[in-house]
Amino acid sequence: MFKNEEMEINLGPQHPSTHGVLRVKLRLDGETITHCKPVIGYLHRGVEKICENQTFFQGQVWTDRMDYCSAVANNLGWAEANEKLFGITVPRRAQYIRTLLNEFNRLASHLIWLATHALDIGAMTVFLYAFREREDILDMNEAFCGSRLTTTAFRIGGLREDLPPGFEKMARKFLAKFPTCLEEYENLLSENRIWKKRTVGVAMLSAEDAIALGVTGPVLRAAGVPYDIRKAFPYAAYAEMDFEVPTQTAADTYARYLVRMAEMRQSARIIQQCLDGLPEGPVMAKIPKILKPEVNEVYHATEAPKGEIGYYLVGEKGSINPYRFHVRAPGFINLQSLPKMAEGGLIADIVAAIGTLDIVLGEIDR
Amino acid sequence: MNKFLRTLIPSDIAKGMAITGKHFCKVFFTANRRKVPFHIVSEYPEVVAKVQPRYRGRLTLLKDEQGEIKCVCCLACEKICPTQVITIEKGKKEGRKMPYPVRYDFEMERCIFCEFCVESCGFDSIILNHQFELATYNREDFSLGMEGLSQNMFEPSPVGKFSVADD
Repeated sequence: MFKNEEMEINLGPQHPSTHGVLRVKLRLDGETITHCKPVIGYLHRGVEKICENQTFFQGQVWTDRMDYCSAVANNLGWAEANEKLFGITVPRRAQYIRTLLNEFNRLASHLIWLATHALDIGAMTVFLYAFREREDILDMNEAFCGSRLTTTAFRIGGLREDLPPGFEKMARKFLAKFPTCLEEYENLLSENRIWKKRTVGVAMLSAEDAIALGVTGPVLRAAGVPYDIRKAFPYAAYAEMDFEVPTQTAADTYARYLVRMAEMRQSARIIQQCLDGLPEGPVMAKIPKILKPEVNEVYHATEAPKGEIGYYLVGEKGSINPYRFHVRAPGFINLQSLPKMAEGGLIADIVAAIGTLDIVLGEIDR
Repeated sequence: MNKFLRTLIPSDIAKGMAITGKHFCKVFFTANRRKVPFHIVSEYPEVVAKVQPRYRGRLTLLKDEQGEIKCVCCLACEKICPTQVITIEKGKKEGRKMPYPVRYDFEMERCIFCEFCVESCGFDSIILNHQFELATYNREDFSLGMEGLSQNMFEPSPVGKFSVADD
């Protein structure tokens, strides 16, 4: 007779479908996962500690290097948390440009998610098409702030410079062609039987579990909870924007795909509104040369493409460095739902579960 | 019955193949004709890559019209640098009122190209140029400085010259 023995295997840390250096300890019964434990920390650089030894102004460059797929969203959270700490009001034009860039960044991040997630599951073509569009957004990043990935886009109190000449043309050109590109991806994937077999009913995470685990972002919205910080606690210029929060109720990988695709459409809508209603005026508030905090502590949450990114800053009176700096990274907290998603499923589906969480290990390990 | 038909006629797969086929034809019939350039990628080492005007490349010291170094050793860039890559030694030069940098060391291996130094400079004496081909064969070549070193901060990077594959 066969003896039913469990087998332990490691997925990663050098596995292309773990999106970085994530190691997942798996215990298998045949092909079914009975136990799953993510092991992290291979990319730990101590960003929080580094920031505590630097001034408030310098800290921004480290936030670029956390979630390198959505550096602008990280910069926005950092800048706004600092403005809260110092009590600075940002000019309206700067708010609009921040919103504009943040939404472009959301598109870039979702495109890279779509590309890699589809590639993991086996749809190679979408990978190339999504990267083609992402390239245009990176070019716009480069035109605005001089760097493609590690943007350092904003400053405490506004922006360093206004939009460069020709930026609006680039943005409008991109917006004109983007809906057709989205249709292309959806034609390739949405009804494809292989895609559906790999995603429908895979890696379920119910709304109760998601809330209990603190999961945010598209993963939560795919479970039917319409929680989006852009709507719940508007920041930047989101209060003036007209957009919807797409939700699904199926709570599986396919629902998360649909939510993210709908979110890209909404992002394009917000960008259009920003471009049309861009107010005139200065882009930088008047701030003192040396920033010293007035309030003791601040927590500011913004909606990054992956979920809620929160910055917790404690200021010391008379000090130019933060006393304590902590990041609530969406990827780190979303990853905790991986055992819930993967246990009881097949080993092939853990690749879909990791892909659907849209994790970036630079942010998880920090 | 409906499900059986769907299995028999793979319309979803055909839809995907149509898109790929469309793109294939677009590239196939235009690739070698100069009229409609359909290349998304550029053939980089052969074709010189273009960067945007605000691109942040290597740090460069500037000289004014008389060939004098513009830097006056206010140490603002040294203080603001998040990775402490700049070291300046203050000195004096005959016939110059302002302080003169005797040494201006720049450790490029640690530089993160954030442009904070340029932003902090009140005398417009440094810029980040448009160079991105900064790899070298030795670690020593990453320590940049003023005249006398293998890479000085007034001239472009020596590696850039070899990137264009014309030989």
